[in-house]
Amino acid sequence: MLTFILKRLGFALITLICVLTLVFLVVRILPGDPALVILGDQASPDSVAALRDRLGLNDPILVQYASFLGRALQGDLGNSMVTGRPVTSEILNVLPYTLELTFAALVLGTVLGVPAGVWAAVRRNRIPDYLMRLVSLIGLSLPAFVAAIILMMVFAIHFGWFPVISAGNAETLTERLRQMALPTLALALIMMAYITRVTRSAMLEVLSQDFVRTARAKGVSPSRVVWTHALGNCLIPITTVVGLYLGILIGNSVLTEIVFSRPGLGKLILTALTQRDYTLLQGMIVVYTLMVVVVNLATDLTYGLLDPRIQYK
Amino acid sequence: MITKLMRTGLAAGLLAATALTAVPALAQQTTLTLGADAADIGSLDPHFASSTSDRTLAAWVFGGLVRFQPGSTDPAGIEPDLAESWESTDDKLEWTFHLRQGVQWQGGYGEVTADDVVFSIEKAMNPDTSAFSGDYAAVDSVEAVDPYTVKVTLKNQIPSVLGILANYAGGFIVSKAAYEERGESFARNPIGFGPFELDSVEPGVSATFKGHADYFRGAPQLESVVYRFLTSSSARDLAFVSGEIDASKGLADKQWLARSSAIEGAAVDIFDPAELSLLNINVTQAPFDDIKVRQAVAHAVNPDIFVQYRGPEFTRPGKSVIPSNNLGFSEDVGMYEYDPEASKALLEEAGYGDGLTVKMLASQLNSLESNALLLQSLFEEAGITLELEPVEHATWHQMIRQDLSPLVQYGAARFPVADVYLTQFFHSDSAIGAPGQVTNFSHCSVADDQIEAARVETDPVKQLALWKEAQELIVKEVCAVPMAEVAQVWVRKAALDWGYELKGAMSLGPVVTEATHFTE
Repeated sequence: MLTFILKRLGFALITLICVLTLVFLVVRILPGDPALVILGDQASPDSVAALRDRLGLNDPILVQYASFLGRALQGDLGNSMVTGRPVTSEILNVLPYTLELTFAALVLGTVLGVPAGVWAAVRRNRIPDYLMRLVSLIGLSLPAFVAAIILMMVFAIHFGWFPVISAGNAETLTERLRQMALPTLALALIMMAYITRVTRSAMLEVLSQDFVRTARAKGVSPSRVVWTHALGNCLIPITTVVGLYLGILIGNSVLTEIVFSRPGLGKLILTALTQRDYTLLQGMIVVYTLMVVVVNLATDLTYGLLDPRIQYK
Repeated sequence: MITKLMRTGLAAGLLAATALTAVPALAQQTTLTLGADAADIGSLDPHFASSTSDRTLAAWVFGGLVRFQPGSTDPAGIEPDLAESWESTDDKLEWTFHLRQGVQWQGGYGEVTADDVVFSIEKAMNPDTSAFSGDYAAVDSVEAVDPYTVKVTLKNQIPSVLGILANYAGGFIVSKAAYEERGESFARNPIGFGPFELDSVEPGVSATFKGHADYFRGAPQLESVVYRFLTSSSARDLAFVSGEIDASKGLADKQWLARSSAIEGAAVDIFDPAELSLLNINVTQAPFDDIKVRQAVAHAVNPDIFVQYRGPEFTRPGKSVIPSNNLGFSEDVGMYEYDPEASKALLEEAGYGDGLTVKMLASQLNSLESNALLLQSLFEEAGITLELEPVEHATWHQMIRQDLSPLVQYGAARFPVADVYLTQFFHSDSAIGAPGQVTNFSHCSVADDQIEAARVETDPVKQLALWKEAQELIVKEVCAVPMAEVAQVWVRKAALDWGYELKGAMSLGPVVTEATHFTE
């Protein structure tokens, strides 16, 4: 087990260095000059030249690369070119927002999605099944920001139950939860749609297997057959989807963040990209890579917990 | 793209919602919450504040030797700020400013003195510590005669000495002690002598300012101003409708204006500077090196189309190659009439009787994209096929600075004295590829003599005549074709009184002053 984890972490380090190199090159191949973006179109040519010099953009590319990689491996991601704040603190400032939203959506999506999928499978080709399939289809096909705006129009504007701006200055826990409710729901709807569909198809397959028939023949109660015997055997595909989707959710919450005016990693990377903030972009890619690696590793380890037959070598 | 989709999707729904929701009754309020089109603070070092949002904030925190009257961008109305009075020698090369006594810095940094002024102007002149160093090329020296007197000496005359010392760009005065103490972090912890000081920043969420109790014009009526970062225009609109923000940056768009004006208890401010959009034509690249082709383009553009499309409330047809609020602007510069038939005839003469196909790089920024599409349809009528090559905005900025597009549609507002716009867009020193490259995309050089002569002309009448001549020459040569000017637009609760009539703001957003308050 320990060897497995160490080996995976070793691979992760190699992946990380490759990604770092790629990102370093890509942001520099991108057209668009950070000095011009930072100083604006009225800046004097002297000021632009001076800033390029200060940012180290005039150094040979190999020198820039070596200094970037060297510092990155020591955990120093440098300072944002635009705000001058350390990249690490820029990221840590918004990370809690992203994590709280992602995990809240994940939990809500799973809690709603798994039972819905099971229910649909058990009542296959009957009204609950059609209903669940329709709902999940809507969840999958409705773009995140449309769902977000509809939620906002109905619950924030029409009923006034929740604030439009979902961030900042929450003094009490209730207020914080009120702020988080709509964005969480918007993301959880998509999450739930995925999980419902995966659970449903996995359950359909398992329910037609011999051991289920045997269990029923032995007189095990129907709910025990469904919720313990069958669902237990569906957890691997469900975990895979949750794990995969968690990575996607962290990266793709940008539209939700924009609509609900929340800070977050998605919005930060979008800003970094439009401003050609090389250092911030690089730093964020490092963090993304790390998160994907960690989530994948956690998913793999969960398999072992769910299925004792899985051995880590 | 994203915001455009959201806007389209939202338009209908928002109308319904505004009808359903009454704006809640307002209590007497001392906190002002504004919605900004920005993701975060960039730099609050005023000499590096270049984005619309940073410029807006710098004007609350800092002041200059002199200032534009609140609500105005008229350089003729510049009035005392830190300096109580000033005089210049007859040759206009030596300027002496007498400072107000007892003006206090924010954060307990003591009194503002001549040393701070000297330090600030020298900082603004230095390309290492200022983005606007180019504006101060004519300044020879700045010295503190005594703690309340500053002498500025110029190498040569410039059109607006007060302009570069006003509360705008490099003219803002910073606290020498605070800057030396804080170094680069001054950009995040600024100290000025303006009516509001930075209290705290929650990255990506908001910046909070509190009233500067010792402000020399009196303590501000508002206790604090919360500046919320709301990058999505629909989120700003909804937050305004729900009463979570008191004022917000709007969109120069007909539908937006209709929606916002319909909100009960809301007022819309439309103010200068209007950004003038020009179609710059590279006179050195084929087929535009032929003046007949450029004239054909000039006859093809109908400025009124842009006005109709965006809305006449905040759009004016372009009448010259510089913005209409500029000192030196002239409406009578011999613009080519809109006449697509004349375009076709000119193209025929130039040897393009079968039609002409030209390419233009187009930024994907909303406003630029819609203008480009309007141009495309206007060109079509005149027998010119305009092929648009859409690119991302920052990429576009770089590509047009490499002469990669013979046609460049560019919107800009500048310090409102003709010299600035004419120099940056039409003087050969500013041409793309020249050492002093700014934004002369057309490689225009026909008016160099007039621009230079006007810059040092002491007789205002002669100066105006030179600027008019320069505009005529540029129009005649078709270095650029004026499209339209679009003003700034904000929506606010009617109960919010800025403390002045908002007709203009050099900082591109409302200046919150000591007099800003709520009437309910």
